[in-house]
Amino acid sequence: MKRLLAGALLAAADLCGACEPALEGAPLARIDSPRYVLAFRTEPARVAVGEHFALLVAACGKDNGEPPSELRVDAHMPAHRHGMNYAASVEPLAPGRWRAEGLLFHMPGDWEFLFDLRGAGPTERLSYPYRLE
Amino acid sequence: MIRRSLLALLCVAAPAAAELLPFTDAEVRRILSHGPWPMAWTPDPSNRVSGNAAAIALGRELFFEPRLSGDGSVRCASCHIEARAWQDGRATAAAFAPLERNTPSVHNVRFNRWFGWDGAHDSLWAQSIRPLLDPREMRSDAARVARLLREDAALRARYETAFGAAPPDDDEAVLVDAAKALAAFQETLVTGRTPFDEFRDALARGDRDAAARYPLAAQRGLRIFIGKGNCSVCHFGPNFANGEFADIGVPFFVARGAVDSGRHGGIRALKASRYNLLSRWNDDPTRRTAAKTRHVIAQHRNFGEFRVPSLRNVALTAPYMHNGRLATLHDVARHYSEIDLDRLHADGERILQPLHLDAREIDDLVAFLESLSEARAP
Repeated sequence: MKRLLAGALLAAADLCGACEPALEGAPLARIDSPRYVLAFRTEPARVAVGEHFALLVAACGKDNGEPPSELRVDAHMPAHRHGMNYAASVEPLAPGRWRAEGLLFHMPGDWEFLFDLRGAGPTERLSYPYRLE
Repeated sequence: MIRRSLLALLCVAAPAAAELLPFTDAEVRRILSHGPWPMAWTPDPSNRVSGNAAAIALGRELFFEPRLSGDGSVRCASCHIEARAWQDGRATAAAFAPLERNTPSVHNVRFNRWFGWDGAHDSLWAQSIRPLLDPREMRSDAARVARLLREDAALRARYETAFGAAPPDDDEAVLVDAAKALAAFQETLVTGRTPFDEFRDALARGDRDAAARYPLAAQRGLRIFIGKGNCSVCHFGPNFANGEFADIGVPFFVARGAVDSGRHGGIRALKASRYNLLSRWNDDPTRRTAAKTRHVIAQHRNFGEFRVPSLRNVALTAPYMHNGRLATLHDVARHYSEIDLDRLHADGERILQPLHLDAREIDDLVAFLESLSEARAP
């Protein structure tokens, strides 16, 4: 039954032109732009104020398209109108997979992750809200 | 008449009934995030003698040693005075010459991410080198420090016990080791528990009677601190500091036509420092301790930002702000109450707003801040 449901979901995703990012481990979120689907998780899983953390990111191209070739990662607090005090460094792990190091949220509140995906064509920006207590 | 007088007398004589404000669940969560105290701590991997008892003893001796300075007259402890909560009570520091910034306490310094008002140093040992070499502070040099540690028999013996070998021939290596011993000593300076900690822990274990013994004015001030004051956004966690930097509208002109650029200059100095955690002096073979130094970036808004200080023992460390401009905690509360947004150099950042506190609210906020300090000796 479970296998049938999974198959149906995959088929539905395929119909929509979606793809499955090859993220290792359970994603914190899965978000998409017109051309890409992106999944990511934090490492460690629980982000703490004032502690450096990393992001593991995977992305794939919809409609059997190529995955993005380049990723930039940032984060900001829209209500406060400021970003991080640190610039994340992004290391490619494999086509469509990256590890971003050096992120640090220096205050509690509403943050937003920003992902810039670059491939053929214009850069696409994805964002994901993140509440830090 | 007699009855009224008696009633008045009773009101004066009876202690105020203990009362606990009806804090919401969200408020309680925020309050609990400011503890427990003291915080857990692990030795600094960038300093191979961090937590080493012999190095702590050597560091304590060096902290009070005037022969480290250029003319043998200035100690670290000349400005970081133990009886004054390890600061000097002056608006701005002065040793061989006046400086532009306030002497911060070295209490709880081991919990800092960055060191100095501008964060120009990324380790406590690197920060400890700076005043030794500054001509306005201790006016020393590597050769002088190394000579003292090689030639004074007692200090040399302490060095050998702490570091497992005699001081090397390289003067700079001895200077760095002296700073690492100084850091090991300063890491031991942790403030004790406070009335706030008793209140916070009583809330944590659900002991309403014990929590209600925390003065009502302090409870009201705490509610401002974590609520409309938004203070706990930066003064975060058990140490009441998020380890980063903020522009809070304190003027940063230091002389006619000269400004203290704060964090902006601090990042430049950090990146240029020969003692930063990216240097060969970092004892951490994994270099994980250097992640902050690798990733920190200078931004326009850093101009005029200064380190968010811990508020523990704040009642014992007047005057306040990076330049000691505010004499009392009431002045600090009034500063935030009427903050001049035009003075901020924040690129549109919207954290601070004038709080427009009334007189009682200012008293309450001060009562809360005072409760973050250990009781003074009688």
